[in-house]
Amino acid sequence: MMLTSEAQDAPRPALPEQAATIAMSCRVRLARNLAGERFPDWATERDRERVLNAVREALSAEAPELRVTPVAGVEEQDRDMLCESHLISKELLERAAGGGVAVAKDGSVCVMVNEEDHLRIQGFAQGLDVAGAWRRADALDTGLERHLAYAWSPRLGYLTACPSNVGTGLRAGVMLHLLGSSLLGEIEPVVRGLERMRLLVRGIGGEGSEAAGQIYQVSNMDTLGTDEAGIIRRVTRICSEVVRQEHNARVRLLQETPLVLVDCLARSLSVLQNARLLATAEALEFLSALRLGAAMGLCTRLKVSDVDALILMMQPGHLQKGLGTSLTSDERDEMRAEFLSRKVARVKLKC
Amino acid sequence: MKCELCHKADAETAIRREVGGELQELYVCQGCARQEAAAAAPPDVDAEQPVAGGMGTVPLMGMILDAAFEIVGRAMNRAEPACPACGILRHEYRKQSRLGCPACYEAFARELDAAIFDLHRARQHVGKVPQRAQALCQRRQLEARLAQAVKEQRYEEAIALRDELLRLPEPDAAKGGPA
Repeated sequence: MMLTSEAQDAPRPALPEQAATIAMSCRVRLARNLAGERFPDWATERDRERVLNAVREALSAEAPELRVTPVAGVEEQDRDMLCESHLISKELLERAAGGGVAVAKDGSVCVMVNEEDHLRIQGFAQGLDVAGAWRRADALDTGLERHLAYAWSPRLGYLTACPSNVGTGLRAGVMLHLLGSSLLGEIEPVVRGLERMRLLVRGIGGEGSEAAGQIYQVSNMDTLGTDEAGIIRRVTRICSEVVRQEHNARVRLLQETPLVLVDCLARSLSVLQNARLLATAEALEFLSALRLGAAMGLCTRLKVSDVDALILMMQPGHLQKGLGTSLTSDERDEMRAEFLSRKVARVKLKC
Repeated sequence: MKCELCHKADAETAIRREVGGELQELYVCQGCARQEAAAAAPPDVDAEQPVAGGMGTVPLMGMILDAAFEIVGRAMNRAEPACPACGILRHEYRKQSRLGCPACYEAFARELDAAIFDLHRARQHVGKVPQRAQALCQRRQLEARLAQAVKEQRYEEAIALRDELLRLPEPDAAKGGPA
């Protein structure tokens, strides 16, 4: 099945409840820079500190609950956890000098300071609520602009370090779990269709990453020439079409090739219950299959939200934090296998 | 850095080509570099013809282009444009695909405008305007309407527009708005 057209303005029937978990989460990011300041890549440490202080003051006036913490002052495990939760990027961690982060307690908004741009304001939401994520980021942005002089031009809009973000500076991304389409061998046409419609398709880890566990991040390519609401509508509309296709793929999988589906689930559950060593990437592959089984109601004692929690908890930073100790890579694989085997010990397949 | 022509493969080499009477330098992948070289070759020159005198497989056209690029490249480097605000040179931002400061957008406008259009298929921002810049945008719109009214000899309307302009607060660039 292919995404052939984006002329999908006509009202479509509501998505079935089972499809709700295909879109795992969404994020809207606004790139902003301060007028008269060098972009972080070319700024001196003193420049970056000045920007960090300006943002800190603006946030304390506008959103006191968002306290800026310098990245250099965050413990390594906490930094990994922020990264694994997709709140901050690896790029921010790599440029510790002058880098800062402020995260809301409920995780609904987050501000990165001195990453690629001076400010990366991010709003988060569950499922396909892209508009909700945008509203959160936009409200904070509007508040901050009362205190900060943004670099903006009437012709090019918000000026960013990389011209690929200029204009609205808005990137709206949805995390999609597309294992059903993948098992049917239909993922490539879907990805090609999305790219033809000028959407970026990336893996779970963002730019340059593989789609481990068949989890894809889909986001808008163009940031100039369409207003914010238009970008949000377009991403939502196209992603909901992908969700619909994935749902149909899952239904066909069950009807046409049930053995392929059940085999995939049984093997994955068996490995998770019995393995003694599990690396992050392979654990993600098996958890992805289990997530599909839970979403299709084929597993006992397992909800999709349980699997989502396991996907987070089994990652290096979270795993070590949970155990309260630092581990080598081999030790982590052993602990991960033990942790997951314990968590899925009572899970059974219904088929 | 991605190829500036196909935007898919990694850029591995630089080529120069004439656009609108001006020599532009582009970082491109090997495939696009070969296509550009083939397109630049005159039809009577066989680019794959080995040079006589035992030069082996070095193509004649490649040698000519390399020599030309070296000469032009040296000349261009001497006059390589820099951003007056941050001092970054053209080749520096191209290498990293990241600009030095907001003023770079004006300093390198000629080549950036083409790249921006390639990236977004648009030239004009549509969307959110920071509160601080709204007065300036309004001023520009009124100025354009005033100029049009004067041009079309609609003097009563022009006077009204002028008065409206005079009532606007002075833009305060230091406190934000356009970079």
